[in-house]
Amino acid sequence: MRHLQFARSNTFRWAFMVAGVFAAFILVLFGFIYWQIDGYLIARSDRVITAQLDGIAGLSPERRLEATEERLRQDPRGVQVAAIFAADGRRMIGNVEQLPAELRIDGPAQGADIVRIDRGDKERQTIRAIAQRMTNGDVLLLGRKVDEASEISHVVGQALALGLLPGFLLCLLAGAWLSVRAQRRVEEVNQRVRRIIAGDLSERLPHRAVDEPFSKLAVIVNGMLDEMETMIHALAGVGNDIAHDLRTPLTRARLALERGRTNAHSLEQLQAVVDKAIAGIDQSLTIITALLRLAEIENSRRSAAFDDVALQDMLREVGDIYEPIAENKNIALHVEAPHPLSVRGDRDLLIEAVANLVDNAIKFTPEGGTVDIRLSRSGDETVVSVNDSGPGISEQEREAVLRRFYRSDKIRNTPGVGLGLSLVAAIVKLHGFRLTIQPGPACRVEIACPDRRD
Amino acid sequence: MALNMVSVRDVPGIPNQGIVRNLAAVEKHMARVLLIEDDGETAEEIRAELTDRGFDVDWSANGIEGLDKARSTEPDAMIVDRLLPGMDGLTVIETLRKEQVRTPVLVLSALGAVDDRVRGLRMGGDDYLTKPFAIVELVARMEALLRRPAESRETTLKVGALELDLIERTGRRGDRGIELLPREFRLLEYMMRRPDQLLTRAMLLEEVWHYKFVPATNLVDVHMGRLRHKVDGPDEAPMIHNVRGAGFILRAVP
Repeated sequence: MRHLQFARSNTFRWAFMVAGVFAAFILVLFGFIYWQIDGYLIARSDRVITAQLDGIAGLSPERRLEATEERLRQDPRGVQVAAIFAADGRRMIGNVEQLPAELRIDGPAQGADIVRIDRGDKERQTIRAIAQRMTNGDVLLLGRKVDEASEISHVVGQALALGLLPGFLLCLLAGAWLSVRAQRRVEEVNQRVRRIIAGDLSERLPHRAVDEPFSKLAVIVNGMLDEMETMIHALAGVGNDIAHDLRTPLTRARLALERGRTNAHSLEQLQAVVDKAIAGIDQSLTIITALLRLAEIENSRRSAAFDDVALQDMLREVGDIYEPIAENKNIALHVEAPHPLSVRGDRDLLIEAVANLVDNAIKFTPEGGTVDIRLSRSGDETVVSVNDSGPGISEQEREAVLRRFYRSDKIRNTPGVGLGLSLVAAIVKLHGFRLTIQPGPACRVEIACPDRRD
Repeated sequence: MALNMVSVRDVPGIPNQGIVRNLAAVEKHMARVLLIEDDGETAEEIRAELTDRGFDVDWSANGIEGLDKARSTEPDAMIVDRLLPGMDGLTVIETLRKEQVRTPVLVLSALGAVDDRVRGLRMGGDDYLTKPFAIVELVARMEALLRRPAESRETTLKVGALELDLIERTGRRGDRGIELLPREFRLLEYMMRRPDQLLTRAMLLEEVWHYKFVPATNLVDVHMGRLRHKVDGPDEAPMIHNVRGAGFILRAVP
């Protein structure tokens, strides 16, 4: 069944149509050529017999008979027709039985049916002929067999058979081949896609030369699949991380409750146990809230609500809020925002982003360090950067810190849900800004806000 | 972190729940609350807690019945769940607002997105609480709704011996002057307008700092620690109390 499918395929149908059109065109072309050649040959033989007629007509009646006879003698192929009829219609000489009725005397050369007497069985022939009445009343008939036309048509027909049939077949073959090839590739893609749907995420579409459209498409789709595979793996990883991060506080809560139920003897003891359990549950809820918030921002299309945000004021505000926290850790927190710059965005979200960066910076900077919040211009960008004197982020960790739940090994002991930077990344992305993290010690995180082009 | 925090255990004579219960008793009459919530178990918990705290709670499980009750019983405050059978919670509130009913409403919702919240408040809700919530948060917000401070024209706020000059932007406790940074002043002003009232961390973040999110660090505690250090001197009875797991209260020294 599958082998016959190609005949029904679109590609094959197209090939068939193209082959048909091609054949029709060739037919018309050959027909035209035949018609032209035929016309030319007839015109030429008409010219020849007209000239000969004029020649013979100028002779004396006796010489005419001789010339006619001579003419017939010198015709080994037997294409010449010549005769002289007396005024009463009687044949005087020549190879034609009688003057054909349809031949107009003294008219131009024309087609006529004659009966030849120099061949056995009085063969009937269609010739080009011309007849003229001589001054003595005789009628001179000259003619020429024009079976070259049929020869030509035979040759043309042969050429047609030689050219058209292979051409047509070639078209069909090419069509069938293309169709089978496309069919095979589609089938291959089909199978692979089915495997992908079935869950084999490492499967990719086949592709050969990169320049071919089908391969180009395959390369693009493969790129998409790569992206999706990474995302799905990341999500799966996140799932594990979430499960782990949720389970830890919940386990603590459960243990506390279990132990409290049997061991607590006073109301105070029981309350302490319950407080512990609530703390564990709250921690789990915090993680869930952060995740939902992240999803909310990532799915958000809130750019309609964007407004001008005065960054100078905003950064000073963030600095003001975090100053006591920094002071408690003996960290010098500075805001360097000398110019009143503003960007288009959602103020609440931008505060959240910067606050998260500052929060992180303070958290990961050892006591006695510094944290600077800077606002500056660079090219056609407004740049908010948070710099700290902490351990920084290594090159390898750079991508990873933007992942949900990632916490660098160095800082794993520092409390914090670990969603902070992912949240910042999501907010920055929503705004069409750019988040860069400079690797190496003394971390520098930048939010670059390109100027709007409108 | 060396925070100047005092757990509720360090404040003698103030048991964990006593504060709020005492607060409810301050009310002239038992505040009547209409709760419209379709989940029976949640409703029962809320009702039990609020009844414990001295509220008179009427419960309705669907929107249409709730709207009728709101019209007929004229409660002092309402707690309305967003997703209700019969009639959506926001529609209930919208309908009441169109009828010029100004009863304060706390919207409860499992929809926690900022946009949902904004919508809830725009439709006439006065406050918005996302499920799951701490019951103490709900009670604190109910208290806050019922005792919204009137916009006074006074230039000085007073709570016991504590005074705040809104023009000079200075504070004083008895004879002792208190130097306040602008951010400390804002926080203290907010608290002095709501004395004897439990202010949760989320409420302070929203109202004082206009934070629409919960920061990773305990911002509120650090700021409150600073303020308390200034308000409560080493040998003075504390006025700012940390209610464990709930928030803070500013009270005059009895």
